[in-house]
Amino acid sequence: MIKSKKTLPVEFGIINADNVEQAIFYLAFHIQLLWQQLKKINQACLPIAYAPSFYQELVSKNPKDGASMELRQNLSKFAYWNGFAVGAICSKVEAIKDCPGRSRIYIMTLATLAPYRNRGIGSALLDSLISYYESHATDTALSTVDEIMLHVQTSNEDAIKFYEQFGFEREEFVEGYYKRIDPPDCFVLRKKLR
Amino acid sequence: MMDMRSHVCWHVYGLLYRSTRDYPEAIKAYKQALRIDPENLQILRDLSLLQIQMRDLMGFRETRLKILTLRPNSKVHWLSYALGVHVCGDPEGAIGVLDSYVGTLEEGSTEFCRGFESSELALYKNRVLSEIREVGNELVGVKKALEHLEEIRDVVVDRTGWLQAKLSYQLQLGMFCEARDTCFLLFQRGCTEDHRVHGAYMCALVNCDRDTCVQVQKLRGTGTLATLRPLTDTERKILIDAYEDSAKDCDGSHIQNGAPYDVHDGEGATKKNLAARFPRSAAIKRIYLTLLSPSSEQFRTSIDKYCQRQLIKGVPSLGSDLSAMYLVEKSNGNVGYDRIHYVLATDPADVKLHPVYQQLVQLTDSYIHSLSSQNTFPNDSTEHPPSTLLWAWYLRSILHEQAAEYANGITLINKCIEHTPTGVDFYELKARLLEAGGDIQQAADVVDAGRDLDHQDRYINNQTTKTLLRAGREEDAKKRIAMFAIHEGDPEQNLYDMQCTWFELELADSCRRKGQLGRSLRKYMSVVKHYEDYHEDQFDFHAYCIRKVTLRTYCELLKFEDEIWGLPFYGHAAEEIVKIYLHILDTPIQSNDDDEPDYSKMTSAERKKAKNIARKKKKSQEKSDINGCKKSEDSSKPTDDNRKKGKRHPVNEDPNGLELIALDPTTEAKKFAAILVRHAPKNISSWALQYDVSIRRGKMLMALQALCKIKHIDGNSHQLFARTVDFSLKLASTATKGHPTSEMVISTEFSKLLNNQSLEGYIQSAFKTVKAVPMSSLPLRVEVAKAMVSAHIGTSDDALSLILDSELVGRGVTVNSCREALQFIESVGPDSAGLKEQWKMLVTAKFPFVKDL
Repeated sequence: MIKSKKTLPVEFGIINADNVEQAIFYLAFHIQLLWQQLKKINQACLPIAYAPSFYQELVSKNPKDGASMELRQNLSKFAYWNGFAVGAICSKVEAIKDCPGRSRIYIMTLATLAPYRNRGIGSALLDSLISYYESHATDTALSTVDEIMLHVQTSNEDAIKFYEQFGFEREEFVEGYYKRIDPPDCFVLRKKLR
Repeated sequence: MMDMRSHVCWHVYGLLYRSTRDYPEAIKAYKQALRIDPENLQILRDLSLLQIQMRDLMGFRETRLKILTLRPNSKVHWLSYALGVHVCGDPEGAIGVLDSYVGTLEEGSTEFCRGFESSELALYKNRVLSEIREVGNELVGVKKALEHLEEIRDVVVDRTGWLQAKLSYQLQLGMFCEARDTCFLLFQRGCTEDHRVHGAYMCALVNCDRDTCVQVQKLRGTGTLATLRPLTDTERKILIDAYEDSAKDCDGSHIQNGAPYDVHDGEGATKKNLAARFPRSAAIKRIYLTLLSPSSEQFRTSIDKYCQRQLIKGVPSLGSDLSAMYLVEKSNGNVGYDRIHYVLATDPADVKLHPVYQQLVQLTDSYIHSLSSQNTFPNDSTEHPPSTLLWAWYLRSILHEQAAEYANGITLINKCIEHTPTGVDFYELKARLLEAGGDIQQAADVVDAGRDLDHQDRYINNQTTKTLLRAGREEDAKKRIAMFAIHEGDPEQNLYDMQCTWFELELADSCRRKGQLGRSLRKYMSVVKHYEDYHEDQFDFHAYCIRKVTLRTYCELLKFEDEIWGLPFYGHAAEEIVKIYLHILDTPIQSNDDDEPDYSKMTSAERKKAKNIARKKKKSQEKSDINGCKKSEDSSKPTDDNRKKGKRHPVNEDPNGLELIALDPTTEAKKFAAILVRHAPKNISSWALQYDVSIRRGKMLMALQALCKIKHIDGNSHQLFARTVDFSLKLASTATKGHPTSEMVISTEFSKLLNNQSLEGYIQSAFKTVKAVPMSSLPLRVEVAKAMVSAHIGTSDDALSLILDSELVGRGVTVNSCREALQFIESVGPDSAGLKEQWKMLVTAKFPFVKDL
C-alpha cells in the first residue's frame, strides 16, 4: 500500500459538451475537441486502447441513449490540476438486461495520470458522480437507476481496494472478458444505490 | 459635359482622383475649384483633409486659416487651425490660437468646466506648451507647462495623464523630490505595474541627469534605469532600499495595499519602501531582481525565491521572463554618462557565458534533484504537488533551448510530456527545440499533435500553421488556419481580408524557399498593400479626432503613421521583395510562355521596352476579355462595373505574381531599398540591401555610404566584411571615371573602411582577428575564409581552419549558417572531403536532428 500523499484540491471540468457544440459551429471539419485529452489520459493509464467510436459517442451531439447534455456532463468529467487535465471519469446510464425497466450507472473509465495518484483525485471524481446521483435520484433519467457497476481486471488489486472504500462489492467473476490483456478475466464491482 | 469654369466640376474631378487615391492630382483639382470659388467651405475642408493626409503641413495651416476666417464661430475650425500651427513647428503660435479661441467664449461656457472635451483640450494645450523652446533656455516651455498643469487641475478628468505629464516635467526640471511624490501618487492610483513609472521613480531616487531621464521614459516593456545601464554602487544601494522586501523585518500586517501616503512624511526607508506598501505588485518584485548584482548572495537568494513562487504557480513564461536579465555591458564609443549601456544577450554563445544564466541553471538543477527525490525544494520541508517538478523540467528545458543544447532539451521535454500528456505548452516547446535543432518536419508533427489536444486554442493553432508553413506543408497549414477563419471560400482570401500579416509573411517565405518567386512576391506585396491601407486608414481620423477633441492621441497617430514603414513586419516584406528582385536581376528566369521574349539577352533599356510592350499587349487583351464578358452578360450587374475599374480582389488577380515578376527588377528593388533605409536606418540589413542595389546600378557613392552606415551600426558584421571586399573588387574593375570630387571622396572614405590598408592587408588582419577571438561569429568566419580563397591569401587550409577550428562555440551558429559553411567547404575542392566529414560530425553533434546535411 502506497503512503497517501497530500490531497490535491481539484476543480471539475465537464468533458466539454458546450465547447463541442461551438466547435461544430466554428470548426467545421473536426467536431471532437477535448476528447483528445481524455484519450491521452486513458492511453497513459489504462491497459486497453478504446476505439475512436468510444470517444465519438461520448462527445456526439445526438447520443444513441438519448441522454440529456446536463446528465452527460455530470456522468463524464475531467479533473484539472493547475490548468491541466490530469484525471477523468466516464460513465453512462444503461438498462439492466435481466430487469426490464430498471437501469444502472456503468463506469466505463476512471483514470488519473500516474504522477498525480494517491492524492484523492480519483476519489473526488467518483464522489462527485455518487453525490450527483444522490441529489438527482428522482430525476426521470436517474429514477430507474438501482446500482453503480463496473468491470475491473482481476489483477488490479489497487483498484478493487479503491472501490471497496466506496462501498462497492466484488461480485461475479467473468472469464475472458478482455481480449488483448493478461489476465483476460475480470470481476464485476457493484454498489447498490437503493 | 465639362464646364471648365465651374467649381463643381473641378470639385467632382478632385473627388474622383481622391477615390482612386491619387491625392496629388486631387489637391490640384481642388485648388483649381477654389480659384473659381475661393470661399467654398466644402472644398476648403476636403482640401485640408488631403493636405494633412499628404503632410503638406504649410498648406494645411493656410487652408485651415482660410476656413477659420470664413467661419470663426466654430470650435472645430479653431482647433484645426491651432493644430495646423502646431504641426508646422510653432508651439507658441498654437498657444496663441488656442488662447484666442478661449477669448471668444462667454463666461460660464462648458469649456471652463470639468468634462472630457475641456479636459482633453487643456491637456493638449499643456503638451504644446511643454514643446516651446527658446535659444539658451530649452526648459522654458516645460516650466510653463508645469505651472499650467496646476491651473487646469480642476478641469482635467484624465488624472493619470495629468500626473504622468507632471512627472515628466518634474524630472526634466530636476525636481526629484517632487517627482518622487508624483510617482507615489501614480502608484496609489494603480500604476504599480507600469515600468515607465518605476523608471521615472528610480531616476528621481538617484537624481539622474536630464538625458538619462528622457531615455528612461522612452523604454518599453520591463525596461527601467537598471536595465538601461550599469548602476553605480551608491545608486544601487538607494534603489535596493526602495525596492527590497523588508516587510518580514517589521510588522507589515497593518499596511494595506496602497495605504494612504502622506507626502510630507519624512523620507525614512520604510516609509517609502515599495515592496512593503504594495505587497501584491509583481513588477516591484521583478524590478528588485534587476537591481542586484548577479554575483551577490542577495541576488541568489532572491532569484531563488522568485523562481520557486513561479514554479509552484506554474507560470509557463518564466523562462522568457528571466531571459530579459541576460544583460551585457556595451560601450558605444561616446565619452561621458552614457558611455556604457546594457544590451540583451540573445546569441546562445553569449547566453551560455552569462552569470545570471549560469546561476539559473544551477538553481534549476538543484530544484529538479530535490523535487524528484522528495517533492520539496532544497533545504525546505514543504511538500509540493507534482506539477512543480513538471514546471522545473520545463524551465530547464527552456534554459537548454536558450543555450542551443537541443538534445538535452528534448530529453527533458519528453519527460514533461510523459508526466502530463495533456499539457499543450510542452508540445509547443518540443516543436521549437526540434525546429532549432534542424528537424522542421517532426517539429510540425509535434506541434500539430499538441494543437489536437485543444481545438479552441487559437495560439497553438497559429503556431502550428507557422511551423507547417516552415516545413513547406502549405495545404495542411491552410487547413489548420481555416479552423479559425470563415468556412466558406479560400482561407488565403479570408486571411487577406483580415490583414493577417504574419500568415502572409510565412506563406511568402515558404513559397520563396520552394522557388515560387512570383507567388511569393505576390504575398509580400499583399503585406505592403496592408500597410498602405493602414496608412490610408488615418484619413477617417483627421476630421473625427478634432471633432472629438482627442488631440493628444491624434498627434500620436500622425507620428505613428509617419513611422509605419519602419515596423518590423513591413521591413520583412520589403527586404524579401528587394532580395527577390535582385535574384531575378542576377538570374533572369526562363519564361514558360513561348511568345514572351528572352529578357536575359537584352540590355536593360531594351528589356524595359520589351516588357512594356508585353504588358500593354496583356492589358489590351484583358480589356477586350472584360468587354466581351460585359456584352454577353446582363449589363445591369453592378459588380461588373467594379471589375471594369480594376477593383478586383488582389489575391485572385494574378495569384502567381506573373505581372510582378515582369516588372523592372532594378526599379522595384531600388524603390523598396530606399524605403528601408529611410524608415529602418538602424537595421544592418536595410543598408546591406541598399548596397546590393546600388552596386548593381553602378552607384558607387551610394554603395559606399551604405557600407559606412553598416560600419557605424556594427563594425564586426559579416555583412560589412563581405561587402567591403566586394566593393574593392568592383572598384578595381569599373573603368568609368566619375566626377573627380566623387572619385576623391570614394578613395579617401574607402581607405578609412579598409583601415588604411590594402585589400590584402584588410583580409589578412580580419583573418588574424577572427582566428584570435573564439567567439567570432560563424558567418563572419565563412566570409573571411571565402575572401581568402578568392583573393589567394594564405592557403586554403588556413581559410578552412577558420571554420573548422571554431568548434561551433562562437556566435551565429544556426542550422542555416552551418549549411552555408558546408557549401563553402565543398566548394574549396576535392581535397576538402575529409574536412567536410569532420564538419558534418561537428554540426550533427550540435544539431542532433538535422537530416540531409
